[in-house]
Amino acid sequence: MSRTLQKAALATLVLTLAAYVALAAGTQIYDPKTRKWVDYDKNTARKYFARNKQVPDAFRRQVVTFRTAEEPGTIIIDGNQHFLYLVQPGGQAIRYGIGVGREGFGWAGIVRVGRTAEWPTWTPPAEMVARDPNAAKWAAGQPGGPDNPLGARALYLYAGDADTIYRIHGTPESWTIGLDVSSGCIRMNNDDIIDLHSRIKIGAKVIVLMQGAALYKGV
Amino acid sequence: MRQTEGDGLRQTRHTPAGPPQFTRRAAILAATVSLLTASVSLGNVQAADLVIAVPNWPSGQATANILKVAIGKTFGLEAGLREMGELNAFAALETGELDIHPEVWRPNLDAAIEKYVAEKKAVVLAKRAVPAWQGLCATEDAEKAGIKSVKDLSDPQKGALLDTDGDGRGELWIGAATWTSASIERIRALSYGYSRNLALVETEEDVGMAAVDAAVATSRPMVFACYAPHNVFELHKVTRLKEPAYDSAKWKIAPGSDPLWIEHSKADTAWPPSEFHIAWSASFGQKHADVAAFLEKVDLTPEEVTAMTYALQVERQPPADYAEKWVAENAARIEGWAKP
Repeated sequence: MSRTLQKAALATLVLTLAAYVALAAGTQIYDPKTRKWVDYDKNTARKYFARNKQVPDAFRRQVVTFRTAEEPGTIIIDGNQHFLYLVQPGGQAIRYGIGVGREGFGWAGIVRVGRTAEWPTWTPPAEMVARDPNAAKWAAGQPGGPDNPLGARALYLYAGDADTIYRIHGTPESWTIGLDVSSGCIRMNNDDIIDLHSRIKIGAKVIVLMQGAALYKGV
Repeated sequence: MRQTEGDGLRQTRHTPAGPPQFTRRAAILAATVSLLTASVSLGNVQAADLVIAVPNWPSGQATANILKVAIGKTFGLEAGLREMGELNAFAALETGELDIHPEVWRPNLDAAIEKYVAEKKAVVLAKRAVPAWQGLCATEDAEKAGIKSVKDLSDPQKGALLDTDGDGRGELWIGAATWTSASIERIRALSYGYSRNLALVETEEDVGMAAVDAAVATSRPMVFACYAPHNVFELHKVTRLKEPAYDSAKWKIAPGSDPLWIEHSKADTAWPPSEFHIAWSASFGQKHADVAAFLEKVDLTPEEVTAMTYALQVERQPPADYAEKWVAENAARIEGWAKP
């Protein structure tokens, strides 16, 4: 995004006190105290969360104007902007902040919510078990709970009747929302995934936008 | 829109430089979804008197449903609907597996029209057509950022405004992978030169349109392939990018059967004037001359087609219900189509 556009965006968003925009170089947020755009990386995110006990305003759950031809109940994932939209009637959507796996989804397309789980068990993939001692101790599966990486709920994404292996899930690490983090699919803070889970129906259409943190980057 | 199955285009298509997993996973997903669709479609056409193709874009879907209801009420024939790609549809019209196609785009399908209509005389194209348009559109924020013509797409600074994956280079949605219009947009991008500046993305229309929705919602600029009539013009403030007027001398699209089609093609002007027609199988026309004469008289306007797609896509009216209502409201007109 160019400086001109940053300024235009800044003018638009100044009233929101804290705002966010995805720049070509990565995520940035607007700091209302210094009135400057700052990189929103891991360190910034940790400090912000420690100070405010929540993520920046843009990544918090909120109702936004969202005109679309998609049916209410449809989920649209914009990995690049770190937003997940749940389409609502009347040209609106509930927007949630998300964390995206560093490798992103790696594809764009249309899937559906095939099943869901509350406090799901996490079974680390074999390669993670091999390289990470913390994961190795859960090779047989970590029971659901507050420390489980899948968080409070998981939505399992299916193509037709087949599990795609991709999930939208909670996380105990709320500060990672808004970031491209080291592993995982689409993560949301636990309050948000519980809220989303309570609103969606099995079979809900999920559109993964062509944008994505790493759609064109090697995994 | 026209599709590319079996014509060699997909093998030579230049895909974005994505990881191998993208292609494999996408193929698995697409195959799974296709299988699901096929099973649904087969159920729909069993015991039908005739079969109407349903393309994978909204206006064609609306017209297919309206023809189904109108033919049912007028002639007492039960029509089945079947999702089908364009080139497969032409082959199926020839074999009699399919009877009617609601929306055949020109110039996109001119090669298939030449083969099946002019040479083989296996397919009949209605003389009447709905005028249409194809090209590139910009969201309001893209226009404000100075992207107003195709020339702007070759400007690296303006191209970077369209970046959605953090690599500093913009992306441009050129249509669904199965659409031949997407192949032509690829040729145009290469011919104009903006393919050097932008990654060309092919995904289903719902993904492309949802990306427009998300871009508008966050005031991000976006440029995308678009066509009219289409409900996106009702839904968002989008403008058509300016470009040099169509020049037949500069518009060379090699046939899909040419393995070097992309190297042998060039198109650095606006699309030629576009239009779409209803088509039917010649054997069906002989068996049901009255229905063929009826199809010849269907006179939908671009405004009507836009309204149909808006009702189906935006207002989420069930296609069958909408078609019933439309046919009831246009009963006298439909009766006129059936008069000799």
